[in-house]
Amino acid sequence: MGFSTRQIHAGVTPDPSTGSILTPIYQSTTYVQKSVDEYLEKGYSYSRSGNPTVKALELKLADLEGGAGCAAFGTGMAAVQGVMLAFLNAGDHAIISDVAYGGTYRLCTKVLSRFGIDFTFADTSKPGEVVAAVRENTVLILTETPANPTMKTSDVAAISKIAKANNLVHAVDNTFLTPYFQRVFELGADISIHSTTKYMDGHNATVGGAVICKTQELHDKVAFIQNSTGSIMSPQVAWLTLQGCKTLSVRMDQQSANAMAIAQFLESHPKVEQVCYPGLKSFAQHELASTQASGYGAMLWFEVKGGLVAGKRLMDNVELWSLAENLGSVESLITHPVTMTHADVEEAERQRVGIIDGLVRLSVGLEDVEDLISALEEALEQV
Amino acid sequence: MSRFYHFDTIALHAGQAVDGEFGARATPIYQTTSYVFPDTDTASSTFNLERSGHVYSRITNPTVGVLEQRIAALEGGSAAVCTASGMAATYSAIIAILSQGDHIVASSQMYGGNISLMKNTLPRFGITASFVDPMDIDGFRAAVQDNTRLIYGELIGNPGLDILDLEAIAEIAGEHQIPFMVDATFNMPYLCRCFDYGVNMTIHSVTKWMGGHGVAIGGVVVDGGNFDWGATDKYPTITEPYAPFSGMNIWEEFGPSAFATRIRCEAMRDIGASMAPMTAFLLLQGLETLSLRMDKHISSTKVLLEYLQAHDQVAWVNHPDLPSHSGHELALKYLPKGAGSIVSFGVKGGREAGKPFIENVELASHLANVGDAKTLIIHPATTTHSRIDAEALVAAGITEDMVRLSVGLENVEDIKADFEIGFRAAKRISDT
Repeated sequence: MGFSTRQIHAGVTPDPSTGSILTPIYQSTTYVQKSVDEYLEKGYSYSRSGNPTVKALELKLADLEGGAGCAAFGTGMAAVQGVMLAFLNAGDHAIISDVAYGGTYRLCTKVLSRFGIDFTFADTSKPGEVVAAVRENTVLILTETPANPTMKTSDVAAISKIAKANNLVHAVDNTFLTPYFQRVFELGADISIHSTTKYMDGHNATVGGAVICKTQELHDKVAFIQNSTGSIMSPQVAWLTLQGCKTLSVRMDQQSANAMAIAQFLESHPKVEQVCYPGLKSFAQHELASTQASGYGAMLWFEVKGGLVAGKRLMDNVELWSLAENLGSVESLITHPVTMTHADVEEAERQRVGIIDGLVRLSVGLEDVEDLISALEEALEQV
Repeated sequence: MSRFYHFDTIALHAGQAVDGEFGARATPIYQTTSYVFPDTDTASSTFNLERSGHVYSRITNPTVGVLEQRIAALEGGSAAVCTASGMAATYSAIIAILSQGDHIVASSQMYGGNISLMKNTLPRFGITASFVDPMDIDGFRAAVQDNTRLIYGELIGNPGLDILDLEAIAEIAGEHQIPFMVDATFNMPYLCRCFDYGVNMTIHSVTKWMGGHGVAIGGVVVDGGNFDWGATDKYPTITEPYAPFSGMNIWEEFGPSAFATRIRCEAMRDIGASMAPMTAFLLLQGLETLSLRMDKHISSTKVLLEYLQAHDQVAWVNHPDLPSHSGHELALKYLPKGAGSIVSFGVKGGREAGKPFIENVELASHLANVGDAKTLIIHPATTTHSRIDAEALVAAGITEDMVRLSVGLENVEDIKADFEIGFRAAKRISDT
C-alpha cells in the first residue's frame, strides 16, 4: 500500500472490545495479569516497558520507515541517546556529522565524553573524510542529512558503504525529510532517528523521539536501552503523534512547496546576501539532494546583507513568523541558531562548520505562502 | 460490582472492568469519535438500542461510561448520564420530561444559573416556574398547579446555605405523582444520599468537589430509578411511543433507568451536550479521592468556623453546622458528616471592608468557582452582584459585607494566617 494509506492505517486496528476506531489512550501505569503463569500473556506489564498506545505509534513509524522495529522515546534527544547507549561502550569511537543539531553535539561532547566514549565530528558531505575518520575502535556513524541548520547534505548510500566495509552501524537522523521524502534504509542505512516533535507531530503539541531499526537484532538492542534507561514516550504524546502522522505526506508536500516559493523570493531580493535551500539550483549539492530524496523539505536559511545586526532586526520585526525554537510544525517559525538552537556549540566550531552569525533559519509552515512572503518582504524593507 | 462495598471502595472501583484487551489497570481514554461495527446486523441493533454498544461518542463513550456507572453507584441510582457541564445536566434532565405548557416548583435559594434557566430560558419554550422559599414547606404544596411536572431544589442552597427538608418535599411530590429532582452538587453522595430520602433524580456539577481539582467542566444526571412513570399519564416522553426509535416505549423497555435513557436518546443524541472522554478521565482521577478530600474539607471548615466566630472583625458567620443557623436541625438529619465546605461571613465595615479583605489575602484565590482543592473566596457585593442596589442584595440573601468562602485543602493554619492579612487590610480601611 502507498505511503499515504499507511500513514493513516499502519499500526492501528479498531479496539476489539468497543470497536473504537482510534487507539484508546492507555493512560495506565500497570496491567492486571490473569495469573502468575499467564504473566505477560497480553503483552504488557508496566508502561515503561510497553504501553498499547505507544506501541501503535511504534508499529506505524516502523511501517512508514520500512524497518523491523521502532522504539519511541520521550524526546528526540532521548532517541539519539538511545542509539548511542545501545551501541557505544567506554573506549569506543563514533563519527558524527560535523553539522548536527546542537543538542546532539552537546550530548557527545559534554555528556557521553564523560563515560570514555570518543567522537570525531567529520564533514560527512565528503565521504573521504568519513573514511579517514574510521579508527580501530569506531563502531557507529551518525549522519544528519540535511544538516541542521546549514542544510549540508550527506550521501547516505556512500556512507552506508563505508560503514558496511568497516562493520559499523550507520544511523541517520531523518528528522528533516522524514521517510516520506528520504528512504534511508533503501539507501543502505541501518537505523533511522527522528525527533517526532517535528514533522510526525507537526502541530507543535508534543516533544517526542523515535528510533527505527532495519533489523530485529538492532531493534532489540535499542528497545533494551529504552526500557533500561526509561526515556520513554508517554501515552498522551503517542496518541497526539498518531493523529499528526495521518497528514504527514500532505503537510510535507505543501510545506515543501511553500519553502521553495520562499527560497525563490529570497534569492531574488536585493537585501538578501545568500539563500540556502536544497531545492534551489544554486544549492551546492542540489544534484545529490535531488537524487537522494524525493522532496527538499521545508527548512532553509538565508543571510541578510548587513549580517548579524540586520538579521536580528528582521527577526525582531517580522510579523506572522514566530521567533521560536522547534521546526517542522504547521506554524512557520524563524530562528537564530547562533543564539538559540546551537548556542552550546563553541564559536570556533560554529565558524568552522558554517553556522555564520547572520544565519537566519526558517521552518516553513502551512500558512498561505503569499502571507508568509509578504511578511518577510515587509520585514526586509525595515532592515 | 458483585457485592456491597463502602463509599471509598465504590469511588475507586465501580463502573470499571479491568480493560479486557491488555489488562490496563487505569481506565483507557477512548478519545475516538466512532466505533467500528463487526457487521451490519450489529450496527442496526446497536442503533435501535436492542443491544448495548457504542456508536458515536456524542451518545456514549467507554471512558465517560465508567464515570457514569461510578457516580450512579455512589449515589445509589439506577443509571447516570454525564454532560458537558452542570448546567447541561440540569437542562438535559428537565427537557427529558417537561414540554410546552408544563410547570416547575423550585426553591428560590439556588445557584444563579439554575434560577436563570428556569426564569429566563425555559419560559421561552413554554415551561414556567414558581419559586418558593426553601424553608416554607407549605409554600411548596401551595405552589403545585395542575400542570406542575417537577419539583426542583438544592439540599444546601446557594448562596444562602438554607437546608431543604427532602422528606417533606418528597412527600408533596409523591402526593401529586411528580418527581423530585435535587441539585446535589454541594452535598454529593458522600455527605447525603438524596435517594434515601425520596428524591427521584439528582444533578451534579462534577466540576466541583467530585472532580475536586478545578481542571475540568462537567455535569451528571443520576436516575434514582424510584419513580413510577407508568402510574400517571403526566410524562408522555417516558411512557408514550418514541418515534425516532421506531415507536419504542422507553418505560416498558428500560423501567428503572427509563429517565436516564430518555436523556441519552434526546439530550445526548439530538442536542449533544456530551462530556469529553478526557474530561471524564480527569474527573475519575478526582473522584477516587473524594472521601479523603471531603473529610479534610469538612474538618478544616469546622476549624475555620470557630476561628471566624471568635474574630473581632467578623460581624456574622453563616453555616448550617452552627446552632444559630435556621437549618441546623435539618443539617444534623441530612448531613451528619457536616454540611459542606461553603461558608459565608460578614467583615465588619461593610462593602468598604469586604473589598480590601478579598484583595489582600494571598493564598485564597479570588474567583467564582467552588469545590476546588484550593481555597476560594469571592465578595458577591462587588463582583457577581455589583450592579444591584442594597435593597435587591438583601432580597437575594446577599449583604454588602458578605464574603463567600470555599474551604480548600491547604493546611488550615495557613488559611487562618492568610485571613489575618486580609483582616489587617480591612482594619486599615475602616480606621481611616
